[in-house]
Amino acid sequence: MQTEATPAEADVSELDLVKRCQAGDTDAFDQLVTRYRQRIFGMIYNMVHNEQDAWDLAQDSFIKAWKSIARFRGQSSFYTWMYRIVTNVTIDWLRKKQVKGTGAEFDDSIELKTIEPGSRTVPKADALPFQRMEQNEIRARIDEAIKELSPEHRAVILMKETEGMQYHEIAEALECSIGTVMSRLFYARKKLQNLLRDVYENV
Amino acid sequence: MFMKTFEEKWTAWLDGELRGKDLAEFEASLPDRAAAEAEKIEAQKLGTLLKRELSARAMGNEEFFNHQLRGQIEAESITKRDESPRPGFSWSIGRLFWTGATALALFVVCTFFVMRNKEPADQSQYLSQILNARVDPALGPNATISMFQAKEDKVTVLWVDGLQTLPAEYAAK
Repeated sequence: MQTEATPAEADVSELDLVKRCQAGDTDAFDQLVTRYRQRIFGMIYNMVHNEQDAWDLAQDSFIKAWKSIARFRGQSSFYTWMYRIVTNVTIDWLRKKQVKGTGAEFDDSIELKTIEPGSRTVPKADALPFQRMEQNEIRARIDEAIKELSPEHRAVILMKETEGMQYHEIAEALECSIGTVMSRLFYARKKLQNLLRDVYENV
Repeated sequence: MFMKTFEEKWTAWLDGELRGKDLAEFEASLPDRAAAEAEKIEAQKLGTLLKRELSARAMGNEEFFNHQLRGQIEAESITKRDESPRPGFSWSIGRLFWTGATALALFVVCTFFVMRNKEPADQSQYLSQILNARVDPALGPNATISMFQAKEDKVTVLWVDGLQTLPAEYAAK
Protein backbone atom coordinates (compact mmCIF):
# COMPACT_ATOMS: atom_id res chain seq x y z
CA MET A 1 0.00 0.00 0.00
CA GLN A 2 1.24 3.44 -0.81
CA THR A 3 1.90 6.12 1.73
CA GLU A 4 2.86 9.73 1.19
CA ALA A 5 6.03 9.55 3.24
CA THR A 6 9.11 11.26 1.94
CA PRO A 7 12.26 9.10 1.71
CA ALA A 8 13.63 10.70 4.88
CA GLU A 9 10.44 9.99 6.75
CA ALA A 10 10.29 6.47 5.38
CA ASP A 11 13.65 5.78 7.02
CA VAL A 12 11.98 5.97 10.37
CA SER A 13 10.13 2.73 10.79
CA GLU A 14 6.46 2.78 11.52
CA LEU A 15 7.02 0.69 14.62
CA ASP A 16 9.54 3.19 16.00
CA LEU A 17 7.08 5.99 15.47
CA VAL A 18 4.34 4.00 17.16
CA LYS A 19 6.59 3.28 20.15
CA ARG A 20 7.45 6.95 20.45
CA CYS A 21 3.76 7.81 20.27
CA GLN A 22 3.09 5.33 23.06
CA ALA A 23 5.66 7.21 25.13
CA GLY A 24 3.68 10.41 24.52
CA ASP A 25 5.74 11.87 21.66
CA THR A 26 3.35 14.07 19.68
CA ASP A 27 5.98 14.78 17.01
CA ALA A 28 6.09 11.09 16.17
CA PHE A 29 2.32 11.06 15.90
CA ASP A 30 2.53 14.07 13.63
CA GLN A 31 4.76 12.06 11.31
CA LEU A 32 2.32 9.18 11.25
CA VAL A 33 -0.49 11.60 10.47
CA THR A 34 1.53 13.07 7.61
CA ARG A 35 2.10 9.59 6.22
CA TYR A 36 -1.54 8.57 6.19
CA ARG A 37 -3.68 11.71 6.17
CA GLN A 38 -4.26 11.73 2.40
CA ARG A 39 -5.25 8.10 2.19
CA ILE A 40 -7.43 8.32 5.25
CA PHE A 41 -9.09 11.48 3.99
CA GLY A 42 -9.63 9.97 0.53
CA MET A 43 -11.15 6.83 1.99
CA ILE A 44 -13.52 8.78 4.21
CA TYR A 45 -14.42 11.18 1.43
CA ASN A 46 -15.40 8.30 -0.81
CA MET A 47 -17.74 7.07 1.88
CA VAL A 48 -19.34 10.36 2.94
CA HIS A 49 -18.95 12.48 -0.23
CA ASN A 50 -18.43 15.75 1.57
CA GLU A 51 -15.11 17.45 2.12
CA GLN A 52 -15.92 19.09 5.43
CA ASP A 53 -17.39 15.92 6.89
CA ALA A 54 -14.43 13.91 5.59
CA TRP A 55 -12.04 16.40 7.19
CA ASP A 56 -13.86 16.28 10.53
CA LEU A 57 -14.11 12.50 10.51
CA ALA A 58 -10.43 12.19 9.64
CA GLN A 59 -9.62 14.47 12.58
CA ASP A 60 -11.85 12.41 14.88
CA SER A 61 -10.21 9.21 13.69
CA PHE A 62 -6.69 10.48 14.36
CA ILE A 63 -7.71 11.81 17.78
CA LYS A 64 -9.14 8.39 18.64
CA ALA A 65 -5.96 6.76 17.38
CA TRP A 66 -3.86 9.03 19.58
CA LYS A 67 -6.01 8.30 22.62
CA SER A 68 -5.87 4.56 22.15
CA ILE A 69 -2.39 4.13 20.75
CA ALA A 70 -1.21 2.73 24.09
CA ARG A 71 -3.42 -0.29 23.37
CA PHE A 72 -1.87 -0.91 19.93
CA ARG A 73 0.07 -4.15 20.26
CA GLY A 74 1.53 -4.32 16.78
CA GLN A 75 -0.34 -7.50 15.84
CA SER A 76 -1.38 -5.82 12.61
CA SER A 77 0.20 -2.91 10.77
CA PHE A 78 -0.51 0.58 12.08
CA TYR A 79 -2.25 1.30 8.79
CA THR A 80 -4.70 -1.58 9.22
CA TRP A 81 -5.26 -0.64 12.85
CA MET A 82 -5.87 2.95 11.80
CA TYR A 83 -8.31 1.78 9.14
CA ARG A 84 -10.27 -0.05 11.79
CA ILE A 85 -10.73 3.21 13.66
CA VAL A 86 -11.56 5.10 10.47
CA THR A 87 -14.21 2.62 9.35
CA ASN A 88 -15.79 2.49 12.81
CA VAL A 89 -15.94 6.26 13.04
CA THR A 90 -17.27 6.67 9.50
CA ILE A 91 -19.80 3.83 9.60
CA ASP A 92 -21.13 5.12 12.94
CA TRP A 93 -21.44 8.58 11.48
CA LEU A 94 -23.24 7.28 8.36
CA ARG A 95 -25.65 5.25 10.47
CA LYS A 96 -26.45 8.25 12.66
CA LYS A 97 -26.96 10.36 9.57
CA GLN A 98 -29.29 7.76 8.11
CA VAL A 99 -31.31 7.71 11.33
CA LYS A 100 -31.49 11.50 11.46
CA GLY A 101 -32.38 11.66 7.75
CA THR A 102 -30.64 14.93 7.12
CA GLY A 103 -31.37 14.91 3.43
CA ALA A 104 -28.98 14.71 0.53
CA GLU A 105 -25.57 13.30 1.25
CA PHE A 106 -23.77 14.93 -1.61
CA ASP A 107 -23.38 18.60 -0.97
CA ASP A 108 -20.22 19.34 -2.85
CA SER A 109 -20.20 16.96 -5.78
CA ILE A 110 -20.31 19.95 -8.15
CA GLU A 111 -17.08 21.25 -6.69
CA LEU A 112 -15.22 18.00 -7.14
CA LYS A 113 -11.58 18.43 -7.92
CA THR A 114 -10.41 16.57 -10.96
CA ILE A 115 -7.05 15.09 -10.33
CA GLU A 116 -4.90 13.15 -12.71
CA PRO A 117 -4.52 9.50 -11.88
CA GLY A 118 -1.24 8.99 -10.09
CA SER A 119 -1.08 12.59 -8.95
CA ARG A 120 -0.39 12.91 -5.23
CA THR A 121 -1.91 16.21 -4.31
CA VAL A 122 -2.05 18.69 -7.17
CA PRO A 123 -3.49 18.17 -10.64
CA LYS A 124 -0.77 18.17 -13.28
CA ALA A 125 -2.84 20.25 -15.64
CA ASP A 126 -6.33 21.62 -15.81
CA ALA A 127 -8.63 19.53 -17.90
CA LEU A 128 -10.53 21.12 -20.72
CA PRO A 129 -13.99 22.32 -19.71
CA PHE A 130 -15.87 19.56 -21.52
CA GLN A 131 -13.50 16.94 -20.10
CA ARG A 132 -13.99 18.34 -16.63
CA MET A 133 -17.74 18.26 -17.09
CA GLU A 134 -17.60 14.68 -18.25
CA GLN A 135 -15.39 13.69 -15.34
CA ASN A 136 -17.68 15.44 -12.89
CA GLU A 137 -20.60 13.61 -14.37
CA ILE A 138 -18.85 10.26 -14.06
CA ARG A 139 -17.81 11.02 -10.52
CA ALA A 140 -21.36 12.03 -9.63
CA ARG A 141 -22.69 8.78 -11.07
CA ILE A 142 -20.18 6.77 -9.06
CA ASP A 143 -21.01 8.70 -5.89
CA GLU A 144 -24.71 8.11 -6.43
CA ALA A 145 -24.09 4.41 -6.97
CA ILE A 146 -21.93 4.11 -3.86
CA LYS A 147 -24.62 5.92 -1.90
CA GLU A 148 -26.91 3.00 -2.71
CA LEU A 149 -24.63 0.63 -0.78
CA SER A 150 -24.80 0.03 2.94
CA PRO A 151 -21.95 1.58 5.00
CA GLU A 152 -20.34 -1.86 5.41
CA HIS A 153 -20.50 -2.61 1.67
CA ARG A 154 -19.09 0.83 0.88
CA ALA A 155 -16.16 0.22 3.20
CA VAL A 156 -15.39 -3.19 1.70
CA ILE A 157 -15.53 -2.16 -1.94
CA LEU A 158 -13.46 0.99 -1.34
CA MET A 159 -10.80 -0.83 0.66
CA LYS A 160 -10.53 -3.49 -2.02
CA GLU A 161 -10.79 -1.46 -5.20
CA THR A 162 -9.20 1.85 -4.28
CA GLU A 163 -6.89 0.93 -1.42
CA GLY A 164 -5.85 -2.43 -2.81
CA MET A 165 -6.17 -4.06 0.59
CA GLN A 166 -6.11 -7.84 0.96
CA TYR A 167 -9.11 -9.75 2.27
CA HIS A 168 -7.45 -10.41 5.61
CA GLU A 169 -6.54 -6.74 6.03
CA ILE A 170 -10.11 -5.69 5.30
CA ALA A 171 -11.37 -8.34 7.71
CA GLU A 172 -9.05 -7.00 10.43
CA ALA A 173 -10.08 -3.42 9.76
CA LEU A 174 -13.78 -4.26 9.85
CA GLU A 175 -13.43 -6.84 12.62
CA CYS A 176 -15.27 -9.53 10.67
CA SER A 177 -14.38 -12.81 9.00
CA ILE A 178 -12.70 -13.11 5.60
CA GLY A 179 -15.80 -14.94 4.38
CA THR A 180 -17.94 -11.95 5.33
CA VAL A 181 -15.59 -9.64 3.46
CA MET A 182 -15.79 -11.79 0.34
CA SER A 183 -19.53 -12.07 0.57
CA ARG A 184 -19.92 -8.31 0.98
CA LEU A 185 -17.63 -7.75 -1.98
CA PHE A 186 -19.76 -10.07 -4.10
CA TYR A 187 -22.97 -8.14 -3.41
CA ALA A 188 -21.35 -4.70 -3.58
CA ARG A 189 -19.81 -5.49 -6.97
CA LYS A 190 -23.08 -6.90 -8.32
CA LYS A 191 -24.94 -3.79 -7.30
CA LEU A 192 -22.33 -1.41 -8.67
CA GLN A 193 -22.13 -3.37 -11.92
CA ASN A 194 -25.87 -2.93 -12.37
CA LEU A 195 -25.75 0.77 -11.55
CA LEU A 196 -22.59 1.71 -13.43
CA ARG A 197 -22.57 -0.64 -16.43
CA ASP A 198 -23.15 2.13 -18.94
CA VAL A 199 -20.39 4.23 -17.33
CA TYR A 200 -17.59 1.70 -17.41
CA GLU A 201 -18.64 0.38 -20.83
CA ASN A 202 -18.44 3.84 -22.38
CA VAL A 203 -15.42 5.31 -20.64
CA MET B 1 -8.28 -20.08 2.16
CA PHE B 2 -11.34 -22.12 3.03
CA MET B 3 -14.42 -20.99 1.15
CA LYS B 4 -17.87 -22.30 1.81
CA THR B 5 -20.35 -20.28 -0.21
CA PHE B 6 -20.68 -19.56 -3.91
CA GLU B 7 -20.29 -15.83 -3.21
CA GLU B 8 -16.94 -16.37 -1.54
CA LYS B 9 -15.68 -18.61 -4.35
CA TRP B 10 -16.93 -16.23 -7.03
CA THR B 11 -15.19 -13.26 -5.38
CA ALA B 12 -11.95 -15.21 -5.03
CA TRP B 13 -12.23 -16.27 -8.68
CA LEU B 14 -12.77 -12.67 -9.85
CA ASP B 15 -9.77 -11.47 -7.84
CA GLY B 16 -7.55 -14.30 -9.10
CA GLU B 17 -7.29 -15.83 -5.66
CA LEU B 18 -8.51 -19.28 -6.67
CA ARG B 19 -5.74 -21.66 -7.62
CA GLY B 20 -5.06 -25.31 -8.38
CA LYS B 21 -7.74 -27.77 -7.52
CA ASP B 22 -10.10 -25.12 -6.14
CA LEU B 23 -9.92 -23.17 -9.40
CA ALA B 24 -10.50 -26.22 -11.55
CA GLU B 25 -13.44 -27.35 -9.43
CA PHE B 26 -15.04 -23.92 -9.43
CA GLU B 27 -14.67 -23.38 -13.17
CA ALA B 28 -16.07 -26.85 -13.82
CA SER B 29 -19.08 -26.02 -11.66
CA LEU B 30 -19.98 -22.90 -13.66
CA PRO B 31 -23.06 -23.57 -15.80
CA ASP B 32 -22.11 -20.95 -18.41
CA ARG B 33 -18.38 -20.40 -18.49
CA ALA B 34 -18.52 -17.76 -21.25
CA ALA B 35 -21.04 -15.64 -19.33
CA ALA B 36 -18.95 -15.94 -16.20
CA GLU B 37 -15.84 -14.82 -18.05
CA ALA B 38 -17.77 -11.84 -19.47
CA GLU B 39 -18.87 -10.89 -15.98
CA LYS B 40 -15.31 -11.22 -14.75
CA ILE B 41 -14.22 -8.71 -17.37
CA GLU B 42 -17.05 -6.39 -16.33
CA ALA B 43 -15.99 -6.61 -12.69
CA GLN B 44 -12.44 -5.78 -13.70
CA LYS B 45 -13.68 -2.75 -15.65
CA LEU B 46 -15.65 -1.64 -12.63
CA GLY B 47 -12.57 -2.01 -10.45
CA THR B 48 -10.49 0.03 -12.87
CA LEU B 49 -13.13 2.74 -13.01
CA LEU B 50 -13.42 2.96 -9.24
CA LYS B 51 -9.68 3.02 -8.77
CA ARG B 52 -9.21 5.74 -11.36
CA GLU B 53 -12.07 7.95 -10.24
CA LEU B 54 -11.96 7.51 -6.51
CA SER B 55 -8.35 7.14 -5.55
CA ALA B 56 -7.27 10.62 -6.58
CA ARG B 57 -9.30 12.59 -4.06
CA ALA B 58 -6.86 14.99 -2.42
CA MET B 59 -7.04 16.86 0.82
CA GLY B 60 -6.28 20.54 0.64
CA ASN B 61 -4.48 22.41 3.43
CA GLU B 62 -2.59 19.37 4.59
CA GLU B 63 -0.41 21.31 6.99
CA PHE B 64 -3.44 22.94 8.53
CA PHE B 65 -4.86 19.47 9.07
CA ASN B 66 -1.84 18.55 11.21
CA HIS B 67 -1.90 21.92 12.95
CA GLN B 68 -5.57 21.53 13.88
CA LEU B 69 -4.95 17.99 15.06
CA ARG B 70 -2.03 19.07 17.26
CA GLY B 71 -4.26 21.77 18.74
CA GLN B 72 -6.97 19.23 19.54
CA ILE B 73 -4.48 16.83 21.09
CA GLU B 74 -3.03 19.60 23.23
CA ALA B 75 -6.50 20.68 24.31
CA GLU B 76 -7.35 17.07 25.18
CA SER B 77 -4.15 16.73 27.22
CA ILE B 78 -4.89 19.93 29.16
CA THR B 79 -8.44 18.81 29.88
CA LYS B 80 -7.12 15.43 30.99
CA ARG B 81 -4.57 17.05 33.31
CA ASP B 82 -7.22 19.32 34.81
CA GLU B 83 -9.61 16.47 35.32
CA SER B 84 -7.05 14.18 36.93
CA PRO B 85 -7.25 14.27 40.77
CA ARG B 86 -4.42 15.76 42.86
CA PRO B 87 -1.83 13.19 43.94
CA GLY B 88 -2.80 13.52 47.63
CA PHE B 89 -6.32 12.50 46.87
CA SER B 90 -5.73 9.79 44.39
CA TRP B 91 -7.13 6.81 46.23
CA SER B 92 -7.23 3.59 44.40
CA ILE B 93 -10.31 1.39 44.36
CA GLY B 94 -8.55 -1.11 46.63
CA ARG B 95 -7.60 1.56 49.13
CA LEU B 96 -11.13 2.93 49.14
CA PHE B 97 -12.50 -0.56 49.67
CA TRP B 98 -10.26 -1.33 52.65
CA THR B 99 -10.95 2.06 54.22
CA GLY B 100 -14.68 1.49 53.85
CA ALA B 101 -14.44 -2.05 55.23
CA THR B 102 -12.41 -0.89 58.27
CA ALA B 103 -14.83 1.92 59.00
CA LEU B 104 -17.75 -0.48 58.77
CA ALA B 105 -16.08 -3.00 61.11
CA LEU B 106 -15.34 -0.24 63.62
CA PHE B 107 -18.94 0.89 63.47
CA VAL B 108 -20.22 -2.64 64.06
CA VAL B 109 -17.93 -3.16 67.08
CA CYS B 110 -18.90 0.18 68.66
CA THR B 111 -22.58 -0.47 68.04
CA PHE B 112 -22.27 -3.88 69.68
CA PHE B 113 -20.74 -2.47 72.89
CA VAL B 114 -23.17 0.42 73.06
CA MET B 115 -26.15 -1.87 72.60
CA ARG B 116 -24.84 -4.33 75.19
CA ASN B 117 -24.61 -1.64 77.88
CA LYS B 118 -27.81 0.03 76.98
CA GLU B 119 -30.80 -0.42 79.34
CA PRO B 120 -34.13 -1.46 77.90
CA ALA B 121 -35.90 1.50 76.43
CA ASP B 122 -39.00 1.27 78.62
CA GLN B 123 -37.00 1.91 81.80
CA SER B 124 -36.59 5.49 82.84
CA GLN B 125 -33.18 7.01 83.21
CA TYR B 126 -34.29 8.01 86.69
CA LEU B 127 -35.52 4.64 87.68
CA SER B 128 -35.54 4.65 91.36
CA GLN B 129 -36.58 2.56 94.20
CA ILE B 130 -38.10 3.47 97.47
CA LEU B 131 -35.54 2.82 100.13
CA ASN B 132 -37.39 4.10 103.16
CA ALA B 133 -40.97 5.05 103.54
CA ARG B 134 -41.41 5.06 107.28
CA VAL B 135 -43.15 8.05 108.73
CA ASP B 136 -43.86 8.64 112.35
CA PRO B 137 -47.65 9.07 112.57
CA ALA B 138 -47.08 11.60 115.34
CA LEU B 139 -45.16 13.89 113.12
CA GLY B 140 -47.51 13.79 110.28
CA PRO B 141 -50.33 11.38 109.80
CA ASN B 142 -50.49 12.05 106.04
CA ALA B 143 -46.79 12.36 105.54
CA THR B 144 -44.91 10.24 103.07
CA ILE B 145 -41.23 10.22 102.54
CA SER B 146 -39.72 8.69 99.50
CA MET B 147 -36.07 8.39 98.62
CA PHE B 148 -35.15 7.99 95.02
CA GLN B 149 -31.78 6.95 93.96
CA ALA B 150 -30.59 7.38 90.40
CA LYS B 151 -29.33 4.27 88.76
CA GLU B 152 -25.75 5.35 88.67
CA ASP B 153 -25.84 6.20 92.41
CA LYS B 154 -24.72 9.69 91.77
CA VAL B 155 -27.91 11.46 92.67
CA THR B 156 -30.30 10.86 95.51
CA VAL B 157 -33.61 12.63 95.71
CA LEU B 158 -35.56 12.76 98.93
CA TRP B 159 -39.22 13.44 98.35
CA VAL B 160 -41.09 14.55 101.42
CA ASP B 161 -44.78 15.23 101.26
CA GLY B 162 -47.39 16.13 103.93
CA LEU B 163 -44.97 17.10 106.75
CA GLN B 164 -45.54 20.20 108.84
CA THR B 165 -41.89 20.49 109.78
CA LEU B 166 -38.77 18.69 108.86
CA PRO B 167 -37.81 16.04 111.46
CA ALA B 168 -34.69 16.88 113.46
CA GLU B 169 -32.71 13.94 112.14
CA TYR B 170 -33.20 15.27 108.58
CA ALA B 171 -32.25 18.77 109.41
CA ALA B 172 -29.12 20.05 107.86
CA LYS B 173 -26.12 20.01 110.10
